[in-house]
Amino acid sequence: MLSSSRKTLAPWRIGVLFSRTGFMSVIEETQYHGTMFAIEEINAAGGINGRELIPVIYDPGSEAMAFGHFAKRLMIEDNVSTIFGCYTSSSRKAVLPVVERLNGLLWYPTLYEGFEASPNVIYTGAAPNQNSLALCRFLMRTYGNRFYFIGSDYIYPRESNRVMREILKENGGSVVGERYLNIRARRQDFLPIVNEIRRLQPDVIFSTVVGDGTVFLYQAYTESGLDPRTMPIASLTTTEAEIRAMGFDVGEGHITAAPYFEGVAGDANAAFVAKFKKRFGDDCSTNMCVESSYFQLHLFAKALEHANTLDTDVLRAMVLGATFDAPQGQVTVDPLSGHTDLWTRIGRADRRGQFEILDQSVSPVHPDPFLIGYGRAMAGVES
Amino acid sequence: MNDLSKPKVKIESVVGDHKSVVQELNGLTVVVVAPLDDQIAFLVRELQRLRIRARQTWPMPETIPGDADVVYCEYASDLARRLPWIPGDARSALVVILPNGDPIQVEALAHATPDAVLSRPFSGNAVVASLVLARSQFRYEQRLRTKIERLDENLRSMRTVERAKAILMTTRRMAENEAYSFIRRQAMDRRVSTSVVAAAIVDSFELLGYDQQH
Repeated sequence: MLSSSRKTLAPWRIGVLFSRTGFMSVIEETQYHGTMFAIEEINAAGGINGRELIPVIYDPGSEAMAFGHFAKRLMIEDNVSTIFGCYTSSSRKAVLPVVERLNGLLWYPTLYEGFEASPNVIYTGAAPNQNSLALCRFLMRTYGNRFYFIGSDYIYPRESNRVMREILKENGGSVVGERYLNIRARRQDFLPIVNEIRRLQPDVIFSTVVGDGTVFLYQAYTESGLDPRTMPIASLTTTEAEIRAMGFDVGEGHITAAPYFEGVAGDANAAFVAKFKKRFGDDCSTNMCVESSYFQLHLFAKALEHANTLDTDVLRAMVLGATFDAPQGQVTVDPLSGHTDLWTRIGRADRRGQFEILDQSVSPVHPDPFLIGYGRAMAGVES
Repeated sequence: MNDLSKPKVKIESVVGDHKSVVQELNGLTVVVVAPLDDQIAFLVRELQRLRIRARQTWPMPETIPGDADVVYCEYASDLARRLPWIPGDARSALVVILPNGDPIQVEALAHATPDAVLSRPFSGNAVVASLVLARSQFRYEQRLRTKIERLDENLRSMRTVERAKAILMTTRRMAENEAYSFIRRQAMDRRVSTSVVAAAIVDSFELLGYDQQH
């Protein structure tokens, strides 16, 4: 495949940091696949300006600290300046000082709690205004306004719930219970939670549980005989990958808000899904994390083609304002915040482990990581 | 080497109603990671003259000690890897000792992110300058990092404070600045942050069950 002239050109080396072992591997493995899938596609098309993309890959094993150490190794030993990686906010915050001090560029393909805009990060997952807002309105309209919050005990769930609580209360809803479980929580730890939910009878369970805990929560819910038609678990993080891990029957009827589901209509997505399944197997679904990991590589490739250097300052300037026809629809990197204009969608899991799209934005939603444009009418007490 | 053993530099410092720059160095701990030759002996003596607790170690350990205020470390092409912290999260000020003559890899030096460098051969002036600059740069960076952390936290809590202010303005018929001073006064009396008071106001408002729509 490699032409002789291309062999004479040194490849572009990039870093890849996703956990393929440990309690976060269910979802991070899919981000790894999305990343590698895009790299293969780019190299098959001749690389970038005739130069091949070579990933330098480490597996931080779901340990946040390890992300920081591998980022250090990538930048000072492997001489890599552009890194694709991180799912949890704790791992992003571990990588942040390294890329900020050594002027690297982290591409972060995960939804998160907002309130950050580092000049050394490109954020391609949803900010709260791109998922929480629409999800909250949908849930209140459809199920009621008494919410129960359950989350893993780390930065993202607590910060995300702070935002959700605010949105909820400004719209006249209330939080009837709030629990956080260790990120390494075991199956039996979820039983008291489900019992409390049965007692409190909220209208909606809003979950920010991530990792293996997701599977335990939904399974405990099913075993206790609760009914998703009247009291669903709503989430911003439960994708096709977690549904597959918990069992399609367990996931059925629950709600997720995301920029992308495998079931998104359109030719671009149909081609993407078909190619992905051909590569990873028919029972492998795409999901929002696969998709963002995939399209951010293409955004990067486009920018690198113009910049023709991995120098962070030059490359970043080319990325800002860039547009790409992603499987979810057109996406654009916002020059001010380094976040991405994304689509907002509400999905309900069906019995095939796919999400039926119940609602979606009419166009991409502009990211507002600091929630500046939202909630000026304070607490509703002025009206 | 005689000129090295008798330092000619007299360290001048203006003493006013605050500690002079030299007084601030008093009692600092320094680790010198370098082979003990005449030059390094001179460096250690100069440091001790500044009332600094200095200790020397060699060969270069796999992991550089991270428990001193300042580390003086011989340049090595893999120095960054041996540092006990990740870049951007340094715990000591770092001065890299440059070799006399041998070319260095500038990338390797940049990756170690030193706060100052000291070139061989040393002079008394160069030693004190490297120490003062390293401390000053390192502490300035730390202050900036703390400031950013606080700004981040304020940014998050701002929305809660705004909500609390609106609640006070409506339920207590306070003017805007009155509401804010109320929150601040409560925070000072209770020795907690304004965001903690604001969160308590918002929570109790909700607990008391005011109609959100009124």
